[in-house]
Amino acid sequence: MMTAARREKVLIVDDEAGSDLMNSVRRKLDREGFETVVVHPQSKLASGDDFEAEALMAIDTVRPSAVLLDVRFGDHPDDRFKGLGILRKIVEKAPDLPVLMFTQYARGPQRDTAAAGSLRFNSSVDFIDKLASPDEVALRLRRLIGRTPELIRIGDDYVVDGQAGVVYAVRGGERSPIRSVQGMKFSILLELASAWYRSPGELVPFWKLERFSEGEDSRASLRVRVREIKDALGEAAGKKYGPADLIVNVRNRGYVLVVPK
Amino acid sequence: MAASPLLGGAVSESLWIIEPLAVAGAGLLVTGLVVGFAALAVTIRVGKPADDTGTRRRWSQMTQHYFDVFGHDMGRPIRRILGKERDVRARLAESKKSVDPAVQELLDEIEQQAPTFRLMVSNIQVLVQLEDEGSRPQTDPVAPAQVVRNVVDRYVGIGRERGINLSWWSEPAEFGLEYCDAAALDHIVTNLIDNAVRYAGSQVEVRLTRNPTHFFVRVWDDGPGIPEHFLPHIFDRGWTPEVASRQERTTSGLGLHIARTLARRAGGDLTVDTVVAGNPAHHTAFTLALPRVNPDHASGNR
Repeated sequence: MMTAARREKVLIVDDEAGSDLMNSVRRKLDREGFETVVVHPQSKLASGDDFEAEALMAIDTVRPSAVLLDVRFGDHPDDRFKGLGILRKIVEKAPDLPVLMFTQYARGPQRDTAAAGSLRFNSSVDFIDKLASPDEVALRLRRLIGRTPELIRIGDDYVVDGQAGVVYAVRGGERSPIRSVQGMKFSILLELASAWYRSPGELVPFWKLERFSEGEDSRASLRVRVREIKDALGEAAGKKYGPADLIVNVRNRGYVLVVPK
Repeated sequence: MAASPLLGGAVSESLWIIEPLAVAGAGLLVTGLVVGFAALAVTIRVGKPADDTGTRRRWSQMTQHYFDVFGHDMGRPIRRILGKERDVRARLAESKKSVDPAVQELLDEIEQQAPTFRLMVSNIQVLVQLEDEGSRPQTDPVAPAQVVRNVVDRYVGIGRERGINLSWWSEPAEFGLEYCDAAALDHIVTNLIDNAVRYAGSQVEVRLTRNPTHFFVRVWDDGPGIPEHFLPHIFDRGWTPEVASRQERTTSGLGLHIARTLARRAGGDLTVDTVVAGNPAHHTAFTLALPRVNPDHASGNR
């Protein structure tokens, strides 16, 4: 398993934290290099207030990078929007701490109530519904936390080490450096990998990449470098990448990284 | 339980997934009933006398409440099914054994139906809301790029499984804020991207642009295009291509109808241009145009 040098901690505050669905989210976050810490009130019949007290304490002891917080804590009328009350307390205590609200109210007045509650606070608060895939939850947390890790894993085949300036091919759990991707070529790859990490599918416009190319025709030079990166990465993984693979030119406006299937 | 000849003992224990599947079947049945109820409800409402506005408003609020509760309660079994499916998937991946293609297909089907279910429930909720004559679009400061980014998050993995690259960009790159109904924008873009990923060949492109009076979201796919004789019907409620070809429907046929209704209610529009297969430039592109509201005139309700 590949992890970042320092694992960002995500605090999970949910009365159904042990459900299969939440386990799949935790598994994904773990694979992503996050460390998940679940708030466990001591009483098995814990109320929303118990979760609130434990969550606030955990913010001091765990010092998480983000909180994944449920909106509803059981069927008691006091606990149906308890998550918003907990959110208010978290924002008072740690105004800069990103909070992702995990809710089943995808739409409708209850969701609007929930959203209106969150908008009262000037903080990094976002909503995601409980049927979201683990990938979606991980992506939203990446953006809320807003830091790109030193090691970016691209699918199962590559790891980009931004600190060391090296891209590795991963085969059978072993990493081997791809030495031909260095200098400006590495900078292009890092720019594309960082954009993909924060927002997969978002195009990186030419003007952001052309600073890593040279010559009179910087666009043509960029095209050559991208081709060389694709060839080098393909060779290291025993693959051949075509125009619609790995790094794709979109409408002659820019490039987007596409993770190999 | 006897060991499966294909998967071995440990894995065959996972086949209790059949039970959740029965629950999934029941869930789909209930969804069907609710769609029927929604249609019936709307029919009853249309037949009501126009001067009975107070009763209609209460009735509408009651219906909305009913669907909220329904959406919430339906979420529970679906979350359980999804949780079990993802658990089985993870255990299969860890065991590194070869998986019966039928089992893999079953797991993939459940995973792929999840966003469809999500969208279907929210489409019904929006439909009920739209039928409520007392409800008005909200106007909030919204970052349209953020809305597109969040929806793409949901579909980029689904696209990848189907061999489709989903990409998006905005012009200008820093798009900033517009004033509109955030939930409506999210809902329209979700329906358009869901649709594009369903019919694309290998590419879906989403472009966010603006001029002095409007901002635009264009969702383009390189699919086979929409035949001319279908075009008058694609925004009709309940229409899907399967209806025309008498095949099993895979969607509710509400998405484009709701998307256009929401766009027009906000003073904008949803239009389509398409070139059908046979021409090398075949594609379909839906363009959402929404007016750029001066923040001084925006009626913020939050």
